[in-house]
Amino acid sequence: MTNFNWLLDGSIVGLYLLVTMVAGLMVRKYVGNVEDFLVAGREMDVYLGIASLAATEFGIVTCMYTAQNGYEKGFAGATPGILMALAMAGVGLTGFVIKPLRDSGVITIPELLEQRFGGRIRWAAGVVIVLGGLLNMGVFLRTGGQFLVLVAGLNVRYLEIMMTALLVGVAIYTILGGMLSVLVTDFLQFVVMSAGLILVTILILMNVGWEKLVTTVEAQYGAGGFNPFVNSTMGWQYVLFNLMLNTAAVLTWQTIIARVLAAKDTRTGRKVYTRTSFFFVCRFLIPGIWGIAALATLGPVANTLEAMPTYLSTAVPAGLMGILIAAMLAADMSTDSSYMLTWCSVIYNDILAPFRKRPWSQRKGLFWNRTIIALIGIFLLLYGLWYPLKGDLWTYLGVTGTIYLASISVLLIACCYWRRANSWGAAASIIVSALIPVTYLVMEQLPATAALAKSIGPYYSGIATYLLSGAAMVIGSVIKPQGHAEGRPA
Amino acid sequence: MSNHWFWWALSMACVIWYSTITVYVAIKGASDIKQMLARLGSGRKPEAGES
Repeated sequence: MTNFNWLLDGSIVGLYLLVTMVAGLMVRKYVGNVEDFLVAGREMDVYLGIASLAATEFGIVTCMYTAQNGYEKGFAGATPGILMALAMAGVGLTGFVIKPLRDSGVITIPELLEQRFGGRIRWAAGVVIVLGGLLNMGVFLRTGGQFLVLVAGLNVRYLEIMMTALLVGVAIYTILGGMLSVLVTDFLQFVVMSAGLILVTILILMNVGWEKLVTTVEAQYGAGGFNPFVNSTMGWQYVLFNLMLNTAAVLTWQTIIARVLAAKDTRTGRKVYTRTSFFFVCRFLIPGIWGIAALATLGPVANTLEAMPTYLSTAVPAGLMGILIAAMLAADMSTDSSYMLTWCSVIYNDILAPFRKRPWSQRKGLFWNRTIIALIGIFLLLYGLWYPLKGDLWTYLGVTGTIYLASISVLLIACCYWRRANSWGAAASIIVSALIPVTYLVMEQLPATAALAKSIGPYYSGIATYLLSGAAMVIGSVIKPQGHAEGRPA
Repeated sequence: MSNHWFWWALSMACVIWYSTITVYVAIKGASDIKQMLARLGSGRKPEAGES
């Protein structure tokens, strides 16, 4: 049984959807060329950037895995958020990598890599980015649908229909308005999402109480519920892997970087980073508290991913339930639209680059961008329906993200700061970085190798990927004979 | 609370900071959108800062 009231809560959700769709569609008239479509004509200012970055990086999937982390690991589950906030603040303050990247005036990261490593590496980097990004995004829809079905008390048979309807709505305004629609709807979604997150958190703190949250974590996990280093499921390897993962994400995750590239200048991009950094603590800790509240109220459950929405379905009263669902829809739609646009930008700008020997007309460019977004939507529907998720969600996202985060962060740092870096090192780094996580994912799915994959674990596999990817760049660059110019230095 | 002051302080900081920044960004972000659309509509860009 759920507290969702179709008249009251349904009206709130309907109103939110209507306003978002209208706003998203209204700005399509400002899209005149491909640059407007992909980076909003580079006109984004600081506060719009903060709203957009925060909304993009918080989807239902985020809420689900961070709540799962809170449920399974206690307060220590918020460790990745703290690490990401530190990385983001550090990069924003120093301009490390993002300054030369924004100064270069490129639309995507592979475009910058071409300047140092050549066209082939640009293409390969594009493929790896899209592969990692789409595999990562593949679980968003099902997880989002799972949340909505559980909280609103809908029949689980409607999950696929809900997923499809959600995606079609998002795809329509993204296809028509590109980054401009994404920014404007992100802004609205940020406000709605934040209101829902704050109100529900205050409600939980008032109803469940801080003392009960703490005593529950103490009883279930002891000191490990507060300290990741002594938690039996985390340890130093978890912290180190997440430090590497989050630093690489801050430097190269295309949906985050897209805000730097859409910023009106480098200083604005850096300000967006520093001023959004603390949001990443909230991003893990607030749903983490929801997960701990679910543990305190429901006790042990079979499916830890579903604990938080199951708990919220009865803990949140009618009226606030509508705001919560609108908030979560807002979170999901902003993430889906940005992700679709971002991977589209890489496919169009980098993977299709060899097919654009002669520049395409703006009309043709816009047509292809819109077609690619539609195709990404179809892929997401198909992948989201059949991929069986094993293990916890954050780890899956970490492993699939590592496919490109490890090599592209190494390539980008080398491109900006190491004069001897060359295409041999770049190619070696990409191969190593893709091979290890893909092998791990395959081993995890095959019955014959599942036990071995489990004994290695995702953290050691992830750490090895980052270290070996860096080593491959150094070794490849050093062994290549000198004197082969490969393009101008970045 | 005294045993786990770090998590208590961080949780409270999240709620207070997030509430404040939401109101602030809601106001300033709306102004950013207005200016962005005005610039795109007029087809001209102001001088960029550091770049």
